[in-house]
Amino acid sequence: MCLRCFEVSRRSLLIGGGAAAASLSTGIAEARVLPKDMVPLVGPGYRPTERDEMGLWKEMDRVEEEIAGSNLLITDPHITGYLRDLIGTVGGPAAKDFRIYLARIPEFNAMMFPTGFAVVFSGLLLRMRNEAQLAGVIAHESGHFLRRHMIRSWRDQRRKTDILSIAAMVAGVGGAGAGVYLGDYVQLAQLGTILSLFQYSRAMEAEADAMGAKLIAETGYPPMEMANIWEQLIGEENSSARYRGKHRRRGSIFDTHPSEGSRMVDLRTDAAEITIPGKAYDNHRARYLATIGPIRPMLLDDQVKLNDPGASEYLIETLAQDGWDGLLRFYEGEIWRLRNRPGDDVRADQSYAAAVAYPDAPADAWRWHGISLMKAGRTGEAKAALARYLRMKPDAPDAAWVRQMVG
Amino acid sequence: MFQRGIAAALAASLALSGCVQTRQFADVEFTPPQGDYKLLVLRPDVTVGSLTTGGMVEPRADWTDQARSNIVQALKAQQAARGGNVTIIEHRNSIAGVSDQELANVERLNFVVDQSIVLHKYLGDYLPTKRGKGLDWSLGQDAVRLGQKTGYDYALFLHAEDAQASGGRIALGVLGLAGCFIGFCAPNIGGQQQLDYASLVDLKTGEVVWFNVVQAGSEIPGIKFGDLRTPEGAAQMIDRLLGRMKPGKDAGKGHVMTPQGPGQPPEQR
Repeated sequence: MCLRCFEVSRRSLLIGGGAAAASLSTGIAEARVLPKDMVPLVGPGYRPTERDEMGLWKEMDRVEEEIAGSNLLITDPHITGYLRDLIGTVGGPAAKDFRIYLARIPEFNAMMFPTGFAVVFSGLLLRMRNEAQLAGVIAHESGHFLRRHMIRSWRDQRRKTDILSIAAMVAGVGGAGAGVYLGDYVQLAQLGTILSLFQYSRAMEAEADAMGAKLIAETGYPPMEMANIWEQLIGEENSSARYRGKHRRRGSIFDTHPSEGSRMVDLRTDAAEITIPGKAYDNHRARYLATIGPIRPMLLDDQVKLNDPGASEYLIETLAQDGWDGLLRFYEGEIWRLRNRPGDDVRADQSYAAAVAYPDAPADAWRWHGISLMKAGRTGEAKAALARYLRMKPDAPDAAWVRQMVG
Repeated sequence: MFQRGIAAALAASLALSGCVQTRQFADVEFTPPQGDYKLLVLRPDVTVGSLTTGGMVEPRADWTDQARSNIVQALKAQQAARGGNVTIIEHRNSIAGVSDQELANVERLNFVVDQSIVLHKYLGDYLPTKRGKGLDWSLGQDAVRLGQKTGYDYALFLHAEDAQASGGRIALGVLGLAGCFIGFCAPNIGGQQQLDYASLVDLKTGEVVWFNVVQAGSEIPGIKFGDLRTPEGAAQMIDRLLGRMKPGKDAGKGHVMTPQGPGQPPEQR
């Protein structure tokens, strides 16, 4: 194929690869970003003035129009107003410029776009145990905007691909002139470039975590709650993996985010560092639960229907650490009823029975409790439970049929 | 952001080489609009960027605005020459009597239908059930309702993206060319990349009656095939994309232009 190829010796390639690998392995355990170093890089009413950033903003106009008009959005003014107030509190100097959208997607996620609009997934609202945790995630996303991460990573990417292309061309032309083949080194450089892009991305995430912790601490939320979010997520993923007979995914050099474990550890240290002894911090759990209360049944329903019993069980048990109620017990039963393996019916029945002991048990808890009693041959009690269901939900789709059974 | 999926797939389907290619499909009974017709152009999607030295596309707001207004001008001039009456809207709330949500639904539906057309007509995943039927896709009653409410005969969806080689990219190509003299020849690293596609929907039947793709790319930075930032380049693009609409193979065989009542499904021809 090539006549004058210079054979790169295995030894030189190994030395090169070894050096690259050594620099990378240190890249995983990146140094912690200190919250005190995280100063916002934009002020109120920020508009881009540089050409590349203006181009990026222009592209986002259509994206925001599409998202703002999406039929996946939850538009309940009570909840969207609450989110807007929250980002207005922890959003630092750009607080009044942010837009925030809530999408009905049962996953743990939130994202910030380059022009300052954020999208929060409904799955996040289910998982957060108090307002401080939600504020932490929102402050993290605000941190991306305040530290201008999108344009910085875009520039980093442009710079590195430029350098790689020039280096590859110079290696090709120069190598041809000198009569050596440097293609293997070019490939190694390519891998190095790709890995350094991921590393840059992880560094940005670490910055956003530190910035977020600082922002919520300044507005009176306990910063330790940000570390708790990761502890909860690790627990959830472990539990989900265990039920599926798998192991939780660990971090790798191709990750865009630092591993959950390292984020948790760093955030703990951050929190200890920025907590001021004697200052009163409030996680505003009551206000949070009161606000999301009306949509909590929907959030739980979306979650259990993912058919991920490990994650759902962990989530419900975590939420129940703040106290069991009829709703949580009912959805605990739903997890097992929907999984439907041998013995799951017994577990489900126990949960339904526990649910109806609470005054806030949903109508469906009475329905399923009634059906389980019916199956057990306890007809009298079953009829009473089903009658209760009909009283709570007279227009239920199966009302006529249940009425027939109750007789 | 969402439009990128189709563009990327189309770019992959047409061989990358230094040339201009077009490939169009039409409904078997399609007759290119002539005479006094009303055409609605929904939010033309235009992006122009700069191809960095490393080969990334950096979007440019000023170039995009310039190209968009050139394209709009060229489109109006071309349609007027055919006798058409064209309205170009930039925002979803700019049609009286149609809510932005209704228009969004038509746009989103068109997007997935376009995706399907690209998959089954351009990417080689041909459907046996649609063999010999030309372009056999429909937006259904949503599009018909839009036509009834607004009085437009056709809706046109248009996407255009162009990336012009930056100074650095051209320099890199020149270096590659210089290498030819000493045995490492790489001038063809890729220069301008333009990709445009358009779909025409008949708002009387709801059917997608015509679809076309234009790709203009050069392998050598510095060589261009029409620059959307100039009025001439935009006019050339509009001409390539919409200027040579071919009629469907059964067009003009008698029962073509019979208007269909709303109750009669378009499939039963």
